[in-house]
Parts: sequence; C-alpha cells; structure tokens
Amino acid sequence: MSARDITIAPGAASPAWKALLYLLMIGIAVASAFPLAWMVLSSLKTPAEAMQTPPVWIPATPSLDAYSKVAELINVGRSFANSALIAGVTTFGILVTSLMAGYAFSKYRFRGRDALFAITIATMFLPPIVTLIPLYRLVGSLGLNASLVGVILPNLANAFGIFLMRQFIAGVPDELLEAARLDGASEMRILFQIVAPAVAPALAALALFAFVYHWNSYLWPLTVLQGNSDNYPIVISLSRLLSYNRSAVNTNLVMAGATLAVLPPLILFVFLQRFFVRTITASGMTGQ
Amino acid sequence: MLAPGIGLIAVFILVPMALTVALAFTKWSSQTPFSTATFIGLDNFAEIFGSSSVGRDFKGALINTALYALLSIALILPLSILFGMLIHQAQLRGANILRTILFATYMVPMIAVALVFSKLYSPSEGPFNQMLGWVGIGPQPWLSSPDTALVSVVLLNVWQQVGYFTILIIAGLTQIPPSLYDAARIDGARGLNLFGFITLPLLRRTLLFSAVIALINAVQVFEPVALITQGGPVGSTNVMTYYIRRVGIERAQGGLGSAMSVTLLLALVVTVTAVFALARREPQR
Repeated sequence: MSARDITIAPGAASPAWKALLYLLMIGIAVASAFPLAWMVLSSLKTPAEAMQTPPVWIPATPSLDAYSKVAELINVGRSFANSALIAGVTTFGILVTSLMAGYAFSKYRFRGRDALFAITIATMFLPPIVTLIPLYRLVGSLGLNASLVGVILPNLANAFGIFLMRQFIAGVPDELLEAARLDGASEMRILFQIVAPAVAPALAALALFAFVYHWNSYLWPLTVLQGNSDNYPIVISLSRLLSYNRSAVNTNLVMAGATLAVLPPLILFVFLQRFFVRTITASGMTGQ
Repeated sequence: MLAPGIGLIAVFILVPMALTVALAFTKWSSQTPFSTATFIGLDNFAEIFGSSSVGRDFKGALINTALYALLSIALILPLSILFGMLIHQAQLRGANILRTILFATYMVPMIAVALVFSKLYSPSEGPFNQMLGWVGIGPQPWLSSPDTALVSVVLLNVWQQVGYFTILIIAGLTQIPPSLYDAARIDGARGLNLFGFITLPLLRRTLLFSAVIALINAVQVFEPVALITQGGPVGSTNVMTYYIRRVGIERAQGGLGSAMSVTLLLALVVTVTAVFALARREPQR
C-alpha cells in the first residue's frame, strides 16, 4: 500500500484516499468478526437449516435447542468449573511467583543474577512439545496423572510473568522500599503492600493473559488427564462433540459448544482489554 | 523470593528439558519409569532420518512444519504492518474498535477456531465456497485435499494471530518519533519513501522479534490437526507437535519421541540464530 497520506500531520489526506482507508478498515473488521458471527448464528439454526446447500446465513427461527442438546451430551457445568479452577489457581500462582521473582531480579543484587535471569527468559521461547514427554512421565511418577493438580502444578510459574514483573518493578523507586525497610517492614510486606499496588495495572494484564491462556490451553490437559472426563476443562469436553462434527446435521450442536467455550475469555477481554494493550506496549515486548 | 518461581521452572521445564536430551539416546517406553531407559546411542536419530515409515512421517512433519511456519510468517508480518499503520497512523475514526476486534480473535480458544473453520471450509454447506461462487471462483476442497489442507490450516492460524502481532507493530510504531516524518517531508519525501526509509527500518527490531514469536507459535500448531485432519489427507497436515505427541505419548515410544523433540529444538535454534545473523549483516539505514 502507499503510505502517501498516512500522515502524522492531520488534514493532509484527500477525501477519496480517506474513504478508501475507511473501506479497508471496515473490510478488515468484517473479515475478522465473520467467523465468530457465523459461529453464533449457526448455533441458533435448526438441524435442517444447518444442512442446507447453499448455506443459510441467518436462521429463520432462532432456537436454543442446540445448547440444551450440548448440555445433555457433555457435563457443561462440571467442565466450566474445571476450567475456572485450572485457569484461576494457575493464574493466582503465576501472579505470586512472578511478583516474588520479578522483585528479586529487579531489586536485589546477587552473584549469578543476570545468568539466572537469562536462563529463565530462554524458557519463554521453548515450545511446550519439547519437554512434553518427560514432563508427562514426571507428573505421572508424582502420582498426579489424570488429576487437576497434575494439570495445574507445572504451570504455577512462567518466564513471561517473571520478565513482565521485573520490567515494571524496576520502575518502583528504591527510596520507597528503603523507607519501608527503615520502618521495620519485612520483605514480604514490602512486596505485597508497596510493590504490588504500584504495579497493579501490569498485574491485571498478567492475570488476564494467564487466565485466558490457561482457559484455552489444550495440549497439556489432554495429555495429563488421560481420558478422565470428570476432570476435563470445557475445551477438551468440546472434543467429545467431534463425533457429531462429521455430519452437517449437527453443525448447530458443535457451534453451540464452541460458543460456550469462547464466551468467558472473550467477555473478560472486552472488559479488560485496555490493560492488555497498555502492558504489551509498555513492557518492551517489542524488542526495543 | 526466587525459590518458588525459579524452583518450579527448574523442576517442570529445565529438568524435563535435560531429560528430553538424555532420553533421546535411549530406548524407553513413556509408560514406564525413567530407570527403564536403555542407552542405544544414535539409533533413534538413525531411525527418524531413515527410510522406515517413522522416518518418512517424521521428515514429512519437519517439512510441513517449516512450510507452515514460513507461510504463517509471510502472511502475518505484512498484514500486521498494514493493520498497525491503518490503526496507528491513518488517523481514522473507529480505529480503536478495529484494534479491539482484531485482538479479540487472539482470545478465542484454538479448539473453537478449529471447529468453526472446519464448518466454514465445508465444501458443500460452508460459506467460503458460497462466497467464492459469488465472485466466480469454483469451489475449493480446503481441508479435504492434500494440496490445500496445510494452507487452510495456515489461514485459520493467521486469522487468529494477526491481531496480536498488530498490537506488537503498533507498539513499535509508537516508538518512532513523529519529528522524523516531518523532517523527511520537508526534504520532499512522500508516500512510499516515508515508509521505506523511516517506518520499515525503524520497525526492524519489532519485526525481528515478531518473526521469532510467530515461528515459535507456528511450531505449536496442534488442535486443528489433532481434531479435524488427524495429520491428513495423505500426511499433508502432519506437523511436529502432533507427530511427536503421537509417537512419544500415544505410542509410548518415549526415546524416539525425545529424539524428535531434540531435532526440533536444534532446528529452531539454528533458524533463529540464522535469522538474527542475517538481520545483523544487513546494513542499518
């Protein structure tokens, strides 16, 4: 594209060029939203409508039948509870471990600090599949296979959280910490009563990242839960609808299930997106 | 302070990493304790690069993954630059709404993306072929043909991820001082010149970082393959994460799977190092 009038000084763009850019913008928004809109619309179709060729876009008589059918096929309540437990506990653990390690890495001086930090950061770029096989056995040998603890425990700390907290805690003035130390405050107290509130927006962003990531996470729970469907989070329960995916009659079912799984992370995002964007921008995650 | 975080990372990432490397040289069933592993030297590597069916499938997965990553990056980077400039520099009303919509797709669980796209791609009841028909293009087989299946998975990946990379690009664009554009404009630079001499060179680090992240993400593609294509048709979507898990967990051939993991890691390290070396050699403008 030409950047002719992508300009910092306003008022320079010709109306025709501006109109073209608006068209482009609307086109991108529509393309981006279309699959999700189609998912919701399809979940409201009747089986007959779901089968029609060429496809019907908007159901004539929207119905929630597919949702009640999904609730018969999979234990939606239990799956949601498992997902919330997995994502919630994991997120809480990540917040605590990231705050502590980030504080130590940014405010303490000790031998080997930078080397240790570098090793920690390197794990951020490790695709999970590389460690999956021994991790599966390791968690199994702890007797945690098929359990929710087995899903949660290995993820209670991660390099991204530690990196993020180190970046933001570095901006907390040392004088503030020294003053608290002079008053006799313990390090834990300083961390949770002074440092944590000072980096609250970054903590909120980390919480959202972690929650959404672990709500959506599929590979590890699938591997460690070994078919124990009582402990399935919703994303894995969904795969039980797959046997229905072969036939177009059941498209509405599969789409209803997908809609259910998408809603929690999406709702969370809509309310808290400003933290996401601000934190990515400010964290130096752009290689600057 | 460090103990909980670093301890967990050591036990659940660094130790398994070391085990992966060690087990790659052993015959070991992942259903049995680590102590049952027996050293067999380079046999696993000979097998995965050999002419057996495992060797064929592994090399196929390696090539498919490389293709998948390359295509993903080749689509994601230009699109995210375009979207980022549109949102950040074009001064359009509603740009923030576009940013929200784009980023929202990144929040959608991959399993849902896979399920929805399997329906969108459906040759007879899917809306994609219907829309192609409106503009006079014949129906495509999408996920059901070996020629188009991998590209179809790439497209759903691009749809999900491009919003995240757009945010990264916007973060990079905010670092470029507006005064640079003003100065260049006084010197008579316009349009593509501004883009080529200011925007692109100053986005270099952001683009490099984005390319590495996109590569690491691409290697992790799993759900659409595990659920929809099972690596097919005819192995065309057989990718590394799917195949390593299949061999190392489902078939319990832990040693063999570990050798594949080590190979994947080496391939990644070599690629990333090469990309950085190339980026450094290219003269700064």
